[in-house]
Amino acid sequence: MSDASRNKGPHDIGGEEAGPVDTIDHGMKFWERQANGLRSVLRERDLVRTDELRRAAEDLGEQYSKLEYFERTTSALRTVLLEKNLITEDELKSKMAEVRARFNVPDEMESPLKKGARR
Amino acid sequence: MSNPSFDYYAQQKHGHAHEHDHARDQHAAIETREGPPSEYEIMSRAMQELLEEKDLITADQVRQKMERFEEELPYRGSKVVARAWTDREFKQRLLEDGKAACAEMGIDLEADRLIAVENTPAVHNVIVCTLCSCYPRSLLGMPPTWYKSSNYRSRVVFEPRAVLKEFGTELAEDVTVRVHDSNADMRYLVIPMRPEGTDGWSEEQLSEILTRDTLVGVTTPGVPRK
Amino acid sequence: MTSASPPVAKPRYPSTYNPAPGHRFNVGDRIAIRRTFPPGHRRTPFYIRGKQGVIERICGAFANPEELAYGFDGEPKKVLYRVRFLQKHVWPDYNGPQHDTIDMEIFEHWLEPLPDTRN
Repeated sequence: MSDASRNKGPHDIGGEEAGPVDTIDHGMKFWERQANGLRSVLRERDLVRTDELRRAAEDLGEQYSKLEYFERTTSALRTVLLEKNLITEDELKSKMAEVRARFNVPDEMESPLKKGARR
Repeated sequence: MSNPSFDYYAQQKHGHAHEHDHARDQHAAIETREGPPSEYEIMSRAMQELLEEKDLITADQVRQKMERFEEELPYRGSKVVARAWTDREFKQRLLEDGKAACAEMGIDLEADRLIAVENTPAVHNVIVCTLCSCYPRSLLGMPPTWYKSSNYRSRVVFEPRAVLKEFGTELAEDVTVRVHDSNADMRYLVIPMRPEGTDGWSEEQLSEILTRDTLVGVTTPGVPRK
Repeated sequence: MTSASPPVAKPRYPSTYNPAPGHRFNVGDRIAIRRTFPPGHRRTPFYIRGKQGVIERICGAFANPEELAYGFDGEPKKVLYRVRFLQKHVWPDYNGPQHDTIDMEIFEHWLEPLPDTRN
């Protein structure tokens, strides 16, 4: 019987063989800390539940092991926000295009990242 | 004695807070200028901005959380355990009801429910969340990258001694290694054994050697040589 | 006779634990984790299904994460227990000392009683 047929999620990895642990703490990038802040605010205001975010991450299937930790949590948040209609696909697409365009500003100008970070 | 591994927060404690934030912002800006931000970074920022525009959250709320996670939360765990080391009755209360004992110290764990587990000459505790990354964030801040890694999550439950060895921690055969998989509503903090050579130390001095890694149980506290 | 002034109330601190009305199991009970592999969000790791352990602590009744994950309110609450397992009972090839243990939290509906054996 394969793992999939026994409904084993991609997150349920206790006991699996794996390589050595990278014992260095590589910390978090700015956007990751911000993503964590966002999640924390949303949870506190009861707009999303931790259990919903976990379930959405678990539903990533094959993608789960291919994504890094904050990529998974971001993907899960997207799923739950769309489910609850707090944002729409179209809105997200437009806003992402807008954010993407902001990052394409040439180096001579002040980094929009710093501007964005201060908002 | 085990080697202390890199402790992200321990470094920051000794730097000037603002300089460090600035350094991180610069670092983040430099990282982005070297290449385009990932789709996920863009997605995360876009979601935040949309939610702000809809007046569901504010940028200030997110910023305050970020500050709290960086500047306040990570240092609370070591304070609690330092007190437990110096006050036997407090330690008992901490072991009986972690959340109440922290509240007694004025530390509000908010959503976290704490179970403190004590290392003794007979038992060594180590914490993991195999299913995701549950961690006592209200006492230790954000989990280190190794705690969230699939290699740690999958292996520490079935070969804890081998994993501990990778952190430089070796335990005698007659010590019971007790793994805690924090898979539901409880969160865990290890009370390490207090090392020799710390007699008469203040709580502040003691909290300095109670690094994050010792409170998760992958290392044991060391006394720096004078 | 009038009573003296009422005693000063001790401060009530929030507890780690919740009440567990009607809890089925007690500390020291030998139990097995149900050997079942249902789909959906579960907080009972795959590796512990079907294994035998002992109730170490009653944590109290909590909203069911299996329901919360899908936007339901998780009521009625289910009693959560800390269960201790000998590693040698979890992993057939466990290569550490026989007295090593692993503890985790399991909801009541995942537990089955075992006959109590006395040496």
